[in-house]
Amino acid sequence: MDHRRGVWGRHRVRLDSILSRAMQIRLLLVACLIVPGLLLAQGDHQWVLEQATLTYQAFHPLHQSEGVSHTAKGKAVCHAGWCDLLIAVPVKSFDSGDSNRDLHMIQAARGAQFPMVIVRTRLLDDAAPSTTLHADLEIQFAGQTVWYKQVAFERSAQGSVARISGTIPATLSDFKIDPPRLLSIPVKNEIPIRVEMSWRPI
Amino acid sequence: MRSALRWLLLILYISIFSLLQAQTPKTPDQTSPPSDAKAPSLADLGISPDQAQGSAKDQEKLDKRSRMLLVHQRLGLITTAPLIATLITSGGAGDKNGDASGRKLHASLGGVTAGLYLTTAYFAIFAPKVAGTSARGPIRLHRALAWVHGPGMIITPILGAMAYRQRSDGEKVHGIAKAHGAAAWITGVAYGAAIASVSIRF
Repeated sequence: MDHRRGVWGRHRVRLDSILSRAMQIRLLLVACLIVPGLLLAQGDHQWVLEQATLTYQAFHPLHQSEGVSHTAKGKAVCHAGWCDLLIAVPVKSFDSGDSNRDLHMIQAARGAQFPMVIVRTRLLDDAAPSTTLHADLEIQFAGQTVWYKQVAFERSAQGSVARISGTIPATLSDFKIDPPRLLSIPVKNEIPIRVEMSWRPI
Repeated sequence: MRSALRWLLLILYISIFSLLQAQTPKTPDQTSPPSDAKAPSLADLGISPDQAQGSAKDQEKLDKRSRMLLVHQRLGLITTAPLIATLITSGGAGDKNGDASGRKLHASLGGVTAGLYLTTAYFAIFAPKVAGTSARGPIRLHRALAWVHGPGMIITPILGAMAYRQRSDGEKVHGIAKAHGAAAWITGVAYGAAIASVSIRF
């Protein structure tokens, strides 16, 4: 009960009302500004592939050859605790040091018809700096889509850059590729692909 | 107004609580990750549909190129046999120990070698070329040696025919025909080196 009656009391009651109302209006305005922002703050973030080296190995009794590509592009979108990764690399970007071998590789891998190797995967958005990841990979290559389950990758952090490396146990038969031959001897079916990537947040 | 303020404060409290929840690390549901509605696409990587789309026509050209070069490789190996035989039988065709039957055998084998050689060369020369590629690696040596054994395989039979006619006429081999032996051995060595250049990794 407000005991400040009379002239002074009535004045203070009006002042309190004015102040209270002003404060209410300010709070209302602040709430209108803050609440949408708070509601929108869901923790989404993205990563871009800064640098990548992909190396395939082919084994032949007379030769062991490696083809290296540095032109992969990638992006990761992280949402609700998961990160969706997409990596694409042109088939013709792999360089084994022998142009004739590279052209044969493109032909054998149907690279003129299917020019891109596309890798999709989903990883846990784990804040731990150094971990071993196990990822299910979907790889589109040579006109085929193949799943590789639980492929192990090592992750480490250098500042804000995350480095991920591992080996994909790919085979020619997985992608229905006829093994190239030298002196009528075919290369081995196993063509492991070594992957080294650097991701930075955007 | 006061009840409105209370509602606003309640909303503010819920929003702050939600923000704290979003920022707190939590283990996502690993059995049912969210849908991939936010997964990146090739367009996000700057890859246009044209870049991702291949050409069946280009693939056919590559396939033809590989088929022809495979025939070239096999014929080249097959040609080695009569070439070696021709070199071995050269002793029976010479001035010192040669006789007519020896010369005929040597000439016949030389003819077979030349015929197979030209057929082998045809498949290499007329295999489709891929625009925008330059020769790198051992294939450069293989192509360079063709400038030695190629002319050699033309000159050697010509000089051999001259020498054969001189001997058939009862003359000793003389003049430029005397270079037949040297031309043959140089051609043989260059041919063997050409095979080795793409077969063995030095």
